[in-house]
Amino acid sequence: MIELKNLGFRYSGAERHALDGISLTIEDGAFLGLIGSSGAGKSTLCYALSGIVPHHYRGDFYGELLVEGMDSAEHRPEEIARVLGCVFQDIDGQMVASVVEDEILFGLENFGVPREEIEGRVAEALAAAGISELRCRAISDLSGGQKQKVAIAAITALRPKIIVLDEPTGELDPRSSRRVFETLKELNEQYGVTIVVVEQKIMLLCEFAKRLAVMEEGKLILEGEVREVLQSAGRMEAAGVNIPRVTTLARALREEGLYGGRLPLNLEEGEKMMREVGLSC
Amino acid sequence: MKGILDYVPGSSFLHRLNPLVKLLLAFVLCASCFVTGNHFIVLGVIALNLALAFSAGIFGRALKMLSSLLKLSALLFLVQIFFVREGQILLQLPLGLYITDLGLSFSLLFVLRLLAAALPLGLMLSVTQTSDIPNVLVRKLGLPYQYAFVLGTAIRFIPLFAQEMAGIMEAQTARGVEFDTKNFFKKVALLLPLCAPLLVSSVRRIEGGAISAELRGFYLRGRKSGYKDYPFALRDFGALLGGACVLALAVLF
Repeated sequence: MIELKNLGFRYSGAERHALDGISLTIEDGAFLGLIGSSGAGKSTLCYALSGIVPHHYRGDFYGELLVEGMDSAEHRPEEIARVLGCVFQDIDGQMVASVVEDEILFGLENFGVPREEIEGRVAEALAAAGISELRCRAISDLSGGQKQKVAIAAITALRPKIIVLDEPTGELDPRSSRRVFETLKELNEQYGVTIVVVEQKIMLLCEFAKRLAVMEEGKLILEGEVREVLQSAGRMEAAGVNIPRVTTLARALREEGLYGGRLPLNLEEGEKMMREVGLSC
Repeated sequence: MKGILDYVPGSSFLHRLNPLVKLLLAFVLCASCFVTGNHFIVLGVIALNLALAFSAGIFGRALKMLSSLLKLSALLFLVQIFFVREGQILLQLPLGLYITDLGLSFSLLFVLRLLAAALPLGLMLSVTQTSDIPNVLVRKLGLPYQYAFVLGTAIRFIPLFAQEMAGIMEAQTARGVEFDTKNFFKKVALLLPLCAPLLVSSVRRIEGGAISAELRGFYLRGRKSGYKDYPFALRDFGALLGGACVLALAVLF
């Protein structure tokens, strides 16, 4: 479980707080989507969850952040990393090896995973990410989507209880983006891994995440179940966040008094709504 | 895009050597060029390098390295040849410049040494996985992992920076900058301003790598943490013996 209690952070030299009084509880097994416009503080929140803030990036830090009971201000990032794995935006930048297998091995060796267990973990992580055939390939030869999966496999091999991903589909086409989210869903549902994912593709978040959190200028302005958060679509739009078109359509139909059902989150639900109101797609 | 120093997968004799032996062999071949004053020995070392490259299936790459080094060597040769004033004058030139037999011999040796010393390191990197170098230094020589990792990262970053630079140059070419000029000085003038974006992107990449390593337990690693073993085989002793013979020849002649 992750608990943020009135968490705030201002980078040294910056005028405003990147995180401003955030209180949030992320339960075990959650799949939380984090969304907000540029500069809302999403990446800084990921840094805070991993302990990089305040240990690596200095600044004014206040409040409390507990990851599985570990206070992030007191525990070093490598201690937090035993339970929480991170995949950041810049995929090329976070690669530490030249070959896929070595990239996966890096964390396992560092954390002193027993030798007899390592082979199984590498094979399992590669299979879970669907990249077993890439094991001996040079990372420089891989596409953006494949690198993304390598980064995810390098983290899942460590079997953390929580995985935090900062825009994991930023450089991916729609099909690859979907595959990444399907991998995350599998980790969440089959292995019970808690997923916190920052993403700008709202349709994907609405389809895969169980809960949604919206940030604006360092503050957490909305948080709850996806459908519940989408009820405040106006507030989301004011914060510079897109909402799914089917949801916009549903709101318009509601305003016209044509639809009174629950908000659709994806195309299938949108189609169902259209049939309910007597319109064909 | 494959860089000139990127690892080339394979199962040749060179590929199968212990990484530490490959490293030692490269240094022995480099050292052989500097302990001898015999042009033919140095030429022999270059030929040996090419033969090893051929056996490892990277002959084309070795020739490419040689050709790149030759361009630099030609420039150094021209500078060097006019600095040595001793010996019998072979060619008198205007402005008080002249070429002597000693100058010619020394410059030639200088250039051959440069070629022969640079090639083994390039070949060694081409047949060794980057991560094997720090790992073997930690496991076999007891070097602290942090230092070995820095060395491995520095090697890994050479082709990455080259790719980064190529990317920046492509972006500038798309904006109309013509880098394919034949004028050396104009090319340098065009490339110099690109050092700033290269530096910025490199620092960013290094910082990303450092954070990523830290979050995967970099500071927890001990000497015995490594997964891979690097046992010595008979071929390793054979290769070392071969290297020792080359060094002995260089010392004797």
